[in-house]
Amino acid sequence: MDNGTSNSASENETITLKSCDGIEFHIDARIANRYTLLNNWNGGESACIPNVNGKVLEKVLEWCEHHINDPQLNCGDDDSRRRNTIIEEWDENFLSCDQDMLFEIILAANYLEIKPLLDLGCKTVANMMKSKSPEEIRSAFNIDNDYTPEEEEQFRKENEWAEDY
Amino acid sequence: MTALPLECYYAIFNNLRHNHKSLFSCALVSRHWCRIIIPILWNEPGYHFKDKRLIRILFLTLNAEEQTLLIPFNISLPSHQKTLFEYTSYITSITRDLIIGVRNLFPNYRSLQNIVKFSLIAMLVRTSKNPKHLILDEIICNPLIFEKLYEKTILTSVDLYFRYNISDDLKYKAIDGLIKILYKNSTLNSLNLRSATLGAKGVITLLEALCNNTVLKSLVITIH
Repeated sequence: MDNGTSNSASENETITLKSCDGIEFHIDARIANRYTLLNNWNGGESACIPNVNGKVLEKVLEWCEHHINDPQLNCGDDDSRRRNTIIEEWDENFLSCDQDMLFEIILAANYLEIKPLLDLGCKTVANMMKSKSPEEIRSAFNIDNDYTPEEEEQFRKENEWAEDY
Repeated sequence: MTALPLECYYAIFNNLRHNHKSLFSCALVSRHWCRIIIPILWNEPGYHFKDKRLIRILFLTLNAEEQTLLIPFNISLPSHQKTLFEYTSYITSITRDLIIGVRNLFPNYRSLQNIVKFSLIAMLVRTSKNPKHLILDEIICNPLIFEKLYEKTILTSVDLYFRYNISDDLKYKAIDGLIKILYKNSTLNSLNLRSATLGAKGVITLLEALCNNTVLKSLVITIH
């Protein structure tokens, strides 16, 4: 793959991405250029994205388009990005979709190595868990309690220092 | 709920790493979540080291040698049940809040406080898989601890307080330990020695070791 060529992608260039269920998206080549995995697939003018369906890919690309002019963070900026706990209003609205879609977006962002979107999704889910009881979290995320009563008691005893604040 | 890869769960819970109460609740949701959360929850107990309940759990990890030190004081250690996880292996920062926690647990027994501090710190240095920061206010010049520290080559920050009345013998052993760390350790980038009554010989040896160290970015030595 010739990175030199793709780095010079201009505003007018478009490439075609095809989701796993065959839906085609014509996107600004700069989006593909920005994210490693999309970039690697962009050997020609079109690329197929297995594992991500059209509905989810549409959302992911919508996010990428909105953020196309964001400054690019390199790996060294990991900490500063994580420290920033404020979620922009546009992103907040974007991710106030149903829970299944939110998890699908996280999954796709992880798969496509779109780190800022992955961080945003994870932060959103974390915020949904804040200040909730275990029972409330279980019901919100539809998870079964698989602790034995003895294990649960022992866990509480060994970690009770963390329970209050 | 759509199943996510482990690294995504880790990233989600890592956002809550300073919110121990929320991590506690999440860990009680399921055993799967608990296994992911425990290393994050125990990574930096910070001010929770002041909590007697946490100190009591730390006692459960003392080995025979570390427990022996406490025998003369006749204190009742918690019965030795096996903990659900090797909690202390995840602790990366040993801070002066631990000293305060021990003081809270045994107020008015200074000699006992010192022994308990020593055995807990020895245990934490021994069991932590990834110690990064060691910040301690009081005497930790014991060669036993330095020996264990010497093996931990990933330490990034040491902040030590040398008590003024430690014996010369112990002082030289401590300097020797520090020098070994400086020669061997390739990650230590911050060293802070306070009230360091090292003596001329000690200072010279330390400076020689420092000359050869290229990793250290921050060095503070306060000599009284």
